[in-house]
Amino acid sequence: MVELEIGQEVEMEYGGSAKVLSVIGSGGQGTVYLVRFNGMKWALKWYDIDKMKKPKEFRKNLQNNINDGPPSNKFLWPKYLTKETEDGTFGYIMDLKPEGFDSFVDILNTYKLEIDPLTGHAVKRPVKFNSLNAMVTAVINIVNAFRQLHRAGKSYQDLNDGGFFINVNTGAVLVCDCDNIAPDGSNFGIGGKPGYMAPEVVRGIAQPNVQTDKYSLAVVLFKLLFRGDPMEGEKVVKDVCLTESSELKHYGQNAVFVYDPNDASNRPVRGIHDNVIKFWRIYPDYIKDAFIRSFTTGISEPTKRIIENEWQKLFIRLRSEIIMCGCGRTNFSSMFVQPNPKTFKCPKCGMEFASLGFSDRDYRMPLYLGCRFYECEISPDSDDFTKVAGELVENKLKPGVLGIKNCSERQWKAKMPDGAFYDIAPGKGFPIWQGLEIDFGVIKAQI
Amino acid sequence: MSNENMTEPVVNENTSGLDDFEPAAAENTAPAAASALDFDDDPLSATGVSRKSLVIFFLIDTSGSMKGKKMGELNTVMEELIPEIRRVGEADTEVKVAVLTFSTEVRWMYSTPIAIEDFEWARLRASGVTSMGAAFKELSLRMSRNSYLNSPSLSFAPVIFLMTDGYPSDDYREGLKELQSNSWYKFGLKAALGIGDEANDDVLAEFTGSKDTVVHAYSGTQLAQMIKIIAVTSAQIGSKSMTLSDDSGHELGEEDVFSAKQKLLGQQIQELVSNKVEDNDVPFDTGW
Repeated sequence: MVELEIGQEVEMEYGGSAKVLSVIGSGGQGTVYLVRFNGMKWALKWYDIDKMKKPKEFRKNLQNNINDGPPSNKFLWPKYLTKETEDGTFGYIMDLKPEGFDSFVDILNTYKLEIDPLTGHAVKRPVKFNSLNAMVTAVINIVNAFRQLHRAGKSYQDLNDGGFFINVNTGAVLVCDCDNIAPDGSNFGIGGKPGYMAPEVVRGIAQPNVQTDKYSLAVVLFKLLFRGDPMEGEKVVKDVCLTESSELKHYGQNAVFVYDPNDASNRPVRGIHDNVIKFWRIYPDYIKDAFIRSFTTGISEPTKRIIENEWQKLFIRLRSEIIMCGCGRTNFSSMFVQPNPKTFKCPKCGMEFASLGFSDRDYRMPLYLGCRFYECEISPDSDDFTKVAGELVENKLKPGVLGIKNCSERQWKAKMPDGAFYDIAPGKGFPIWQGLEIDFGVIKAQI
Repeated sequence: MSNENMTEPVVNENTSGLDDFEPAAAENTAPAAASALDFDDDPLSATGVSRKSLVIFFLIDTSGSMKGKKMGELNTVMEELIPEIRRVGEADTEVKVAVLTFSTEVRWMYSTPIAIEDFEWARLRASGVTSMGAAFKELSLRMSRNSYLNSPSLSFAPVIFLMTDGYPSDDYREGLKELQSNSWYKFGLKAALGIGDEANDDVLAEFTGSKDTVVHAYSGTQLAQMIKIIAVTSAQIGSKSMTLSDDSGHELGEEDVFSAKQKLLGQQIQELVSNKVEDNDVPFDTGW
């Protein structure tokens, strides 16, 4: 492996050169350097060519990806290739990770190590989502990014916890390490990370593709929500030492989901898997059922794995079921008491929340000050889960009066206590009351 | 064997070194039906995902012949090495380090493996003879679920890195035999570094089980290079799950993956070492 020296100039394919400033990190395939190119700072990934199985094909694929461009702005995509050195070594440059993003690994560990440059001592800094909304938004963003990628006919191949950066304040997601992305059906040597790889890849009977990506995606989602490994329970812990053959067994030949309803042999162990035990009690059944399907029938039948669009719908629902109670308790509506089908009650302070039922779905959205619904929830053709369409606010001129503000760009109709429907223009609002009905156009809602 | 500086670990019943990976007390819990407020139900409060642990054992010869430049170089490179290994382990594996020194006596640097974040190198001094066999026995004793490898969650097989500059002065085979019956040793990643002309690579290969994971350093510069290569590479491989050969085209069996990591370690060490040696062998008039 040819390492680059600090200060070295690396020639770029289409002229110019990038000057190596420092090392950012190293991974299984090579090293990432901070470089200066055209007056700007970039990240340069420089490959360890000895570890590559098909360097020529790999470079060609990278070139194709650069030409195609990223499926969306959620990807830290390769920008320019370097020239090849005499022995065929090469690299590519990409944008630097923007400020404010933490790695998925740090989120899972709940802290990151910051090394004091003078003493070399490591200090732990907490890393945590600052709201439940940001966390569920991050999940939706991850799912959506892979939906976009798969729609572009490509697969990520080695989806794992090293592949994302997340903004814990907003839930924004950046997919990194995009250099192994390849057209579905092709593979240029990457196998993946055990624990994230689909069982058929672990067993050596399939190569990474869109279907195996779906399995890995389910693992990523499970880890983010349940903070544990879906296949690591009592059966695995009994082995004590994770040897190569025990990994083949527990993640390949005999992978058993920790909450497999038909096989209790691998349940989480208290003291080791406390997170999973706790969160399995918190998430609503439709989320748990999706994971059960992913990790039971989805193990042996790749086509039965949950598709990204389905995940996206489930998590948009989950986001709409968050309740932030005035007493400080924030949780999903399933963790609130339901005195009647239309009302949620905080088990801690007793506060009650009315809810909105939409004509196209059989679950209800709890209403609380600050709650929002999104464009995709009021128009059937929209896939926009980030644009706020409506928000529950307090009337600025009549304190204490709550109503829904139309944040969308279209006119709605709302039924008032006099029984008539009134036009609600963008930017306007209307009070909520017992018999409220809203007409968004195709979709309708009522309290 | 005397261990005057060694504090006895609290639990140490397993003295045979035969540790068949007996399971930790696993308590299977069925979540009881309970009302929403019976437990911490904050969806945002989580502890870190349970990480796998990896212990890196350094077995270091501190006999009299190591005195002077060798020991100075070794101390310096080990101090510098700790931050590099820290970077390797911080992701999803908790890396711990244990250092066993052997001369006339066998002695642990600290009485328990120390997390890499908190590890500080205590400079070593050299004197006495090379009791390698005693070191093997002591290692075997501590590589046990009841002793140094007592992490409650899953462990990767340990990394064991032996450095010596001389021929063992005791019956190393007897010690090795004991070590070889230890399951952690069997599955562990083993590498060895011979320092100077006296160190016998055949003895080291007996320890590691293959010649690929034995390297030799003849100068101070090489010593520093080799220690870094072996320690960083073995920590990288040891702290991760195995990566697969994905072009076999047939279903993998246990025999395909058996000691896959040890083989990979051998390959990578040989590659890295040959690169370094080439660097040093370039004639003065080429490469300009």
